[in-house]
Amino acid sequence: MSAPLISVQGLSRIYRTGRIDVAALRQIDLVIREGEFVAIVGPSGSGKTTLMNILGCLDRPTNGHYVLAGTAVADLDDNELARLRSREIGFIFQSYNLLPRMSALENVAAPLIYQGMGRRDREARARAALERLGLGDRLAHEPTELSGGEQQRVAIARALVTEPAILLADEPTGNLDSASGAEVIELLHELHRSGRTIVLITHDGDVAQAAERQVHVRDGRVAA
Amino acid sequence: MSAFELVRLALSRLRSSRLRAALTMLGVIIGVASVVALVSVGEGTTRGITTQLRSLGTNLLVVNPGTAVSGPNAGEPGSATTLTLDDAVALAKIAGVAAVAPELATQQPVIAGAKHTTTIIIGTTAAHAQVRNETIWQGSFLTPVTDALGLRVAVLGATTATNLGLGANAVGTDIRIGGIPFRVIGILQAKGGSSLLNQDDQVIVPVAAVRSQFVGGTSVRTIGVSVASVNQMGVVAAAITTTLRSRHGILAGRPDDFVISNQAQLLGAVSSVSTLLAVLLAGIASISLVVGGIGIMNIMLVSVRERTREIGIRKAIGARSRDILLQFLVEALTLSLLGGAIGIGIGLLLSAGIGQIAGWGFVFDPLTLLVAAGFSVAVGVLFGVWPARQAALLDPIAALRYE
Ligand SMILES: Nc1ncnc2c1ncn2[C@@H]1O[C@H](COP(=O)(O)OP(=O)(O)OP(=O)(O)O)[C@@H](O)[C@H]1O
Ligand SMILES: [Mg+2]
Repeated sequence: MSAPLISVQGLSRIYRTGRIDVAALRQIDLVIREGEFVAIVGPSGSGKTTLMNILGCLDRPTNGHYVLAGTAVADLDDNELARLRSREIGFIFQSYNLLPRMSALENVAAPLIYQGMGRRDREARARAALERLGLGDRLAHEPTELSGGEQQRVAIARALVTEPAILLADEPTGNLDSASGAEVIELLHELHRSGRTIVLITHDGDVAQAAERQVHVRDGRVAA
Repeated sequence: MSAFELVRLALSRLRSSRLRAALTMLGVIIGVASVVALVSVGEGTTRGITTQLRSLGTNLLVVNPGTAVSGPNAGEPGSATTLTLDDAVALAKIAGVAAVAPELATQQPVIAGAKHTTTIIIGTTAAHAQVRNETIWQGSFLTPVTDALGLRVAVLGATTATNLGLGANAVGTDIRIGGIPFRVIGILQAKGGSSLLNQDDQVIVPVAAVRSQFVGGTSVRTIGVSVASVNQMGVVAAAITTTLRSRHGILAGRPDDFVISNQAQLLGAVSSVSTLLAVLLAGIASISLVVGGIGIMNIMLVSVRERTREIGIRKAIGARSRDILLQFLVEALTLSLLGGAIGIGIGLLLSAGIGQIAGWGFVFDPLTLLVAAGFSVAVGVLFGVWPARQAALLDPIAALRYE
C-alpha cells in the first residue's frame, strides 16, 4: 500500500455563532493514501463541506491532528497554508466558482500567478489543461458564455493546472444534468487512472459509487 | 505576484468598469488639476512682479523729501523742498554707492508734428540709466556733456514715442515740450509691466534743462541711489541718513526731513503676499484631492464587498493575504495615479490658458508636477490601504459562502 497523503486524527470543528456552538465535525479519523479515489458521503448538514475546507487548508480544525503530505498543518502560518493550497491542493466546487469577467484561459491560468509563473508559461499550461478537457475552442469564453458542464470542466482544468497532490471535489455534479454529471465523474475516473488522488464529496450514493472507497459521514462523525 | 502582474490585473479590472473608474477618478482629477493650475497662477503673478522689480533698477534706494510743515503743500508726503542737487552730489561720494541720479519732474504737453500728448518730463543725469535700469533702444542716453551744458535734448520712453507716432528714425528730429523745442537723442527700450505702474510713458531730459525751462530753484523731487551690492543696502541707507542729516543741519532728536525707501523690499513684500495667496488657494484645492481620495476609498470598499466571492476563490487557488492586499491597493493606486496624470494634463492646459490671457505666458515648474504626482500616490495609498486590508483579512470560507 502507498503512503498516507492525508492523515486525520480526532479532528473536530466547532462553529461558534453567537451563543450557540455548532459542532460540525466530531472526532473524525481518516486516512487517505496516495492515488486513492475516495468518496465522502453523507446527508446534507453532516459536515462534508466543513471537512473538505479543513482538508483543503482553507480552514483550521478546532481540535485534532491533520498531517498533509508529511506536514503537520497545525504548525503552519497563513502564508504557509496558502502555499499548500497553491501547490498541493486543487479545489472543484459545486458552483464552479470561476472568476467572473475573465476568460476560461485566464481562469485556468490564475492559480499559476500565485506560484510566480511567467505569463507565457502560464498560458501554455492553461491551454494544455483546457485542451485536455476538450475545451480547446472555448479559451476566450467568459464564464457567462459557457454552459454549466463547460464551466465545471474549466474549474477542473483550473484545479489540475498546478499538478496538485490531491483533488478535492465538493458536489461537483450538484448543479449539472445527469449527462454532464456523468461526464464529470468519468473525467475524475480518468484522472484517478492517471494516478491522481481524488476526494469526492457528495450526498448522492449513486455518484459515490464511482469511487473505490466510500467514507460515510453522519452528524459530523464517520459512520461505519 | 510581480508588480507588473498587479498593474495588469488592476488595469484589466478598471477597463471592465470604465464609467465607474472614470467617475471615481474625477475627484482626484479635479483636485490635482486645480492644485497645478493655482500653483502656476501664483508663480505667474510672482514672476510678473519679479520682472517689474528688476526693471525698477537694481539695488535701488529712493530718497524723497519729507513732509513740508509750512507752505501751500504742507502736510503732503514728499512736499518738502529740502533735497537739492548738491545733496545728490554729496551722496555720490558715499562708499558703496554705485551711481546717483537726482530727478526733477514736471508734467508738460509734448508735441511732435501733428501729434501731441501730455506726460511726465524727468530732469536727471546720465547716471539715471544705471540707477533706474533703463536701456536704450535707439540713439543714445543723456551723457555728462548734455548734463553739463543743460542741452535741450530728450530721451523718449517707449510708450511716449508710440503715442507721438515716433519710430527709430525720429532720433535727431525736434519735438516741443511745453512749447520749447527739444531734440530727440534716443528712445528707450520698453520695460513692460502693469498699467498701474507704466514706466514707459516719460520723457527724460538733462536736469539743467528742466530747471532753466520749467521749474526754478535747486530742490529735486527724488534722488535715486544705486547701491553696489544688495548686502550693502542697509549700510548705505544709514550713511545716506547721516550725510543728509548733517547737510540739512538737523539736530539730534529731531526727525529726518527726507524719506529713504527700498522699492525692491516693498515689491518683495507684495510678491511674498501673492505667493502666500497661491499657496493658500492650492491648499484649498487640495481639499478636493482629499474628497477625491474618499471617493476612491468608498468605491474600493464597495468593490471589496462585491468581489467577496472572488477574494474567496483567489484564496482557495493559492493567493496569500498579501497578494489580495496588493491587488486592491494597486487598483486604488492605479485609479489615483491615472486620475493624477489626467489632472496634471488638465492643470497644465489650464495654466497655459490662464497664462496666455493674463500675459505671463506658460509657467511650468517640474516640482509642482512631482508634488502633484506624490499627492496622487499618497491619496491612493492612504485611502486604498484600508479597503485592501478589509479584502485581505476576509476569511476564505466565509468569502466563498458569500452570495
Ligand atoms: N460558518 C458556519 N457557521 C456556523 N455553522 C456552520 C457554518 N458552516 C457550517 N455550519 C454548520 O455546520 C454543519 C455542517 O455544515 P456543512 O456545510 O459542512 O454540511 P454539508 O455536509 O456540506 O452539507 P451540504 O450537503 O448541504 O452541503 C451544518 O449544521 C451547518 O449549519
Ligand atoms: Mg456542503
